Amino acid sequence: MDIFSNLATGFGAAVSLQNLFFCLIGCFLGTLIGVLPGIGPIPAIAMLLPITFGLDPLSSLIMLGGIYYGAAYGGSTTSILVNMPGEASSIVTCIDGHQMAKQGRAGPALAVSALGSFFAGTVGTIFVAGFGPMLSNFAQQFNSPDYFSLMVLGLTTAVILAHGSVVKAVAVILVGLLLGLVGTDVNSGTTRYTFGVSDIWDGIDFLPVVIGMFGVVEIIKNLEGKEYLKAPITAKLSSIWPTKQDFKDSWRAVLRGTAVGSILGILPGGGAVLASFASYTVEKKVAKDPSRFGKGAIEGVAGPESANNSASQTSFIPLLTLGLPSNAVMALMMGAMMIQGIQPGSAVMTSRPDLFWGMVASMWIGNAMLVILNLPLLPMWVKMLSVPYRLLYPAILMFCVIGVYANNNNATQMVIVAVFTVFGYALARLGCEPAPMILGFLLGPLMEENLRRSLVLSRGDPMIFFQRPISLTLLIMTACVVLLIVLPSFRKTREVAFQEE
Amino acid sequence: MIFRVRSPQDFGAGILFMLVGLAGVYFGRDLTYGSAMRMGPGFFPMWLSWIIVGMGAFIAFRGLTIDGDAVEMPQWRPVIGVIGSIIAFGLLIETLGTPITIIILTFLAAFARPNPDLKETAILAVALAIFAVVAFIYGLGQPLPLWWEF
Repeated sequence: MDIFSNLATGFGAAVSLQNLFFCLIGCFLGTLIGVLPGIGPIPAIAMLLPITFGLDPLSSLIMLGGIYYGAAYGGSTTSILVNMPGEASSIVTCIDGHQMAKQGRAGPALAVSALGSFFAGTVGTIFVAGFGPMLSNFAQQFNSPDYFSLMVLGLTTAVILAHGSVVKAVAVILVGLLLGLVGTDVNSGTTRYTFGVSDIWDGIDFLPVVIGMFGVVEIIKNLEGKEYLKAPITAKLSSIWPTKQDFKDSWRAVLRGTAVGSILGILPGGGAVLASFASYTVEKKVAKDPSRFGKGAIEGVAGPESANNSASQTSFIPLLTLGLPSNAVMALMMGAMMIQGIQPGSAVMTSRPDLFWGMVASMWIGNAMLVILNLPLLPMWVKMLSVPYRLLYPAILMFCVIGVYANNNNATQMVIVAVFTVFGYALARLGCEPAPMILGFLLGPLMEENLRRSLVLSRGDPMIFFQRPISLTLLIMTACVVLLIVLPSFRKTREVAFQEE
Repeated sequence: MIFRVRSPQDFGAGILFMLVGLAGVYFGRDLTYGSAMRMGPGFFPMWLSWIIVGMGAFIAFRGLTIDGDAVEMPQWRPVIGVIGSIIAFGLLIETLGTPITIIILTFLAAFARPNPDLKETAILAVALAIFAVVAFIYGLGQPLPLWWEF
């Protein structure tokens, strides 16, 4: 194992003044946008994506990583202070975090969450450095049928984590797959579903889709809920530092959360949401007095916050080694990598080791920066919460449209933004979670290509997926997941888990 | 037997998916299907589309049999205001240039909520226009047009 020499390469690549600068800017902007109430990490990242495009691949990914951690952390800050989770993984943080804030202990809650996240992020990074190469070596044995089955597994597990109805989530993913096929078919050169619009001959651009479905839809939803237009939110922040007792109460929760998160993050389809829910359940189970939970137990903040951060790190593993985004945030990362001309997968590690290890190193740097940046800047972030939404949303809208327009100077992209806004809005109104669509959208062409190659290999016999051991194993795992979803007892726990909203 | 929509959300979603799937089938009708061994450009889309139609039918049917949530009517003001400002941006940016387009965008966006304060909106619009020019055009060097071109 030469993790250390690899990490040295990584730090060598990542630690340039330029990269550190972009990482810092990323963390700062990510937190800035993430802290705004009603904006979760997905819209925050979508909005900030365009500013990373002009950079070289490594700097751009490092900055993007910074944005991601910043947005996630900013989201937790908002959940704790105003009880408004911007994303599913902060829902759990709200439960006890906001209670702590009500008791005037917002400072300790935020500090514990930052320190716990930093520790968890460090462990998560080590996980990525350790498991990444192993999995990547393993992935080299993957063939087209294996990749196809892997994607089936990944998309199936993504379904469990979608809110609401399972069937609807499946349908949403399939629509995503279909939309991913729009454009020129690489094999025959035929254009598909382009309606003669030359702008989508290369496929529908990723950016206007995510900006419309996640950025703009979010604005409309917030404007419909009138509470955002009322008086600005005032949150009080007294002392930031946790007491000795707080540390004593929370360090075990941090350790457990980190372990839970690191493991759950690796699973295809896993990630921050699953990790934070699981960790909260664990904390409640091991606590001597479970009744304290929901009333401001610091373990209920420390555990899930650590868990979702370590899972955020380790969910890079399937993306970087197998090319499989396990959740919507990773899909955004994948989209960004593809725009930089990098196809995520096991080849990245062998062909661009500086990129892989540089990113791993930057994960840790990003986490460190967050602690350094956020604890002293907390009062400023709290101030951000008092900016009324009526002033914020035109600015957010401006970011969205300029970002899309500047990406390729094409005004017709606005039509795509509008179309996907309407579609995303309709999905939301009809009780469908739009996030899984983006996974399908990115995997559509890959799935088709791997299916095509597999069937060429087998001369058209679909049994090939059951004959190769790796593919068969993956399909058996998929079957287990499907069984889990269908099983009534599991359905109940899943419903209960999402009910804490 | 009279059908009654028990879950409008499910029923609506089912219809939406069926429409998407049928659109996929209809607009993909001229794509070569090929065979399993030599998949044509129409092979995968056709399978996907029909599966989507099937899922849609299932969801819609479930909406007729199991009780569920009602569909909340959209509030047209935010929907039209926000989408209108995006379209306006697309139409105007190349002819009017960035600052003026941003001012128009801000005003249109302000009307996405009831009773906007015009004075406040004007100040915000000018501030955002200045910010856009300074940050995006000069700061980040984005290729946005500064002034109008006729």
